[in-house]
Amino acid sequence: MTQNSQQGAEAADTSAPIAIEVEGLAKRYGDFEAVRGISFQVRAGEVVGFLGPNGAGKTTTMRMLTGFIPPSDGVARIAGHDTFSDSIAARRAIGYLPETPPLYPEMTPRSYVDFVAKLKDVPRGRRSAAVDRALELCGLTDVRHREIRQLSKGYRQRVGLAQAIVHEPAVLVLDEPTVGLDPIQIREIRALIRDLAATGGQTVILSTHILAEVDAICQRVVLIDRGRKVLDQSLAELKAGGASLEEVFARAIAVDEAAVSFQAAGADGTTGTAGAPGADTAPGAGNGAAE
Amino acid sequence: MRHITTIASRELRSLFVSPVAYVVLTIWSVIAGTFFLASLIGFQEEMIQYQQYQMLQRIEEMNLNDHLIEPFIGSMWVILLFLLPAITMGLISTEKANGTDELLLTSPISIWEIVLGKFFAGVGFVTVMTAIVGFFLGILFVYGEPELGKTLTGLACLLLVSVTYVAVGVFASSVTRNQLIAFILTFVLLLLLGMMLPFMVQITMSGSGMGQDSGLASAVTWMSTGSHVDHMLQGLVDTSDLAYFAIASAVFLLLSKTVIESARWR
Repeated sequence: MTQNSQQGAEAADTSAPIAIEVEGLAKRYGDFEAVRGISFQVRAGEVVGFLGPNGAGKTTTMRMLTGFIPPSDGVARIAGHDTFSDSIAARRAIGYLPETPPLYPEMTPRSYVDFVAKLKDVPRGRRSAAVDRALELCGLTDVRHREIRQLSKGYRQRVGLAQAIVHEPAVLVLDEPTVGLDPIQIREIRALIRDLAATGGQTVILSTHILAEVDAICQRVVLIDRGRKVLDQSLAELKAGGASLEEVFARAIAVDEAAVSFQAAGADGTTGTAGAPGADTAPGAGNGAAE
Repeated sequence: MRHITTIASRELRSLFVSPVAYVVLTIWSVIAGTFFLASLIGFQEEMIQYQQYQMLQRIEEMNLNDHLIEPFIGSMWVILLFLLPAITMGLISTEKANGTDELLLTSPISIWEIVLGKFFAGVGFVTVMTAIVGFFLGILFVYGEPELGKTLTGLACLLLVSVTYVAVGVFASSVTRNQLIAFILTFVLLLLLGMMLPFMVQITMSGSGMGQDSGLASAVTWMSTGSHVDHMLQGLVDTSDLAYFAIASAVFLLLSKTVIESARWR
């Protein structure tokens, strides 16, 4: 089923409308550049893995995508809506699972997801059904009346996911959705994400540093390192090269690091970017201290 | 705008499953009961004294409104300064501590809706507190004949002060993720706003030899809640008092909104 849906998405790829569009997105905190000019596009129905080592800028980028923090530079559009100038419309189209699930420990999953459904403007007539559906998809029906504080980490993660999908958003932004789950739960959540994309036509962008996860659910990979995009390719293309994903990613990051140190050495930085596609030309001072 | 109700009702429900709400309401009720009883006994003793000394004119002047209700509400207002911060401290700071601010700020709602939702949750709570005071005053109507209009003005005054202080609490809660800091900041702001401002001005004024009725002094006195409370408790309501409470609430809510908005840019 996975293979089939991948093939299907591959074929529909070029005709589907663009769901996520990111152009030169950058975020600076004082002197530190967390994200330096990332650009990529995701078409509707695609599942994209957002990969990178810790501190690469994944969470910062996702926070800019969802409008939680404004970008220092560049634009992000969700379903055609600018996340900054047209943020309400953009936010309506997004389901977002942050790095730590945003839960109220004293609420039950049912009342919590219902609260989120109200925030996301799910029409009153459909709300109860939508909440039950989200709880069921995430396997929470049995614990829906327990207090969230009593639930295990895995269940809390699922409550976070239920919250993200309750209003059936066009775009799902998931920041490390399977972290802290046991292997069986991981398999269930991955299957759920695949289903949402395959049957619901939802676009998914998820961050992770587990390569097996990318292999299991993603059709395409955007790899970032030190706030810059170093690789953007479909999984099929990556695998066609014959090398394992680990080798490909390790190589891409090594190339990027070489480029960075070359740039730093060459001060003016006029030549160093050739090895790193999409790399920013600014030779930022804080490179070494970044990680 | 219906998100305001959504946020306010969720907040109120969470408040009422936490022990803080019940601790505050219990302390408030016990203190209100004690003060009420004390005021009642004081009133009685005063009457007996006047009767003993045959001060008939004094007895004539005695009435429940001026000699019982006014001091009673006046002292409850002071208790409010200590208890209210415990209710408002978590309004926004816990959202930050839980990470739920990320949910609110990425939902299709405006920051005003968040701020007002929190504000109205606090308003709901202080309405309950005022109602408890109202309950004790109701007892007076069973056994005596206080003036209804004046009594209601007193209660309205207590509610207005509380509402204004909730706005202060929302602001203090928006600047930190730490509830204790929010509590202390609210308390300090309420003390300043409630009673310290006029004192501080008097001290500096007398030091610098300026007249106490200068424009600055009267402006600062206008800024403190104390003068308006005194005025309203006498049963006098004028637009200056009402404007004060409206402006003070609006200023602190606007500040809260600005703080939340600017935090995203950091």
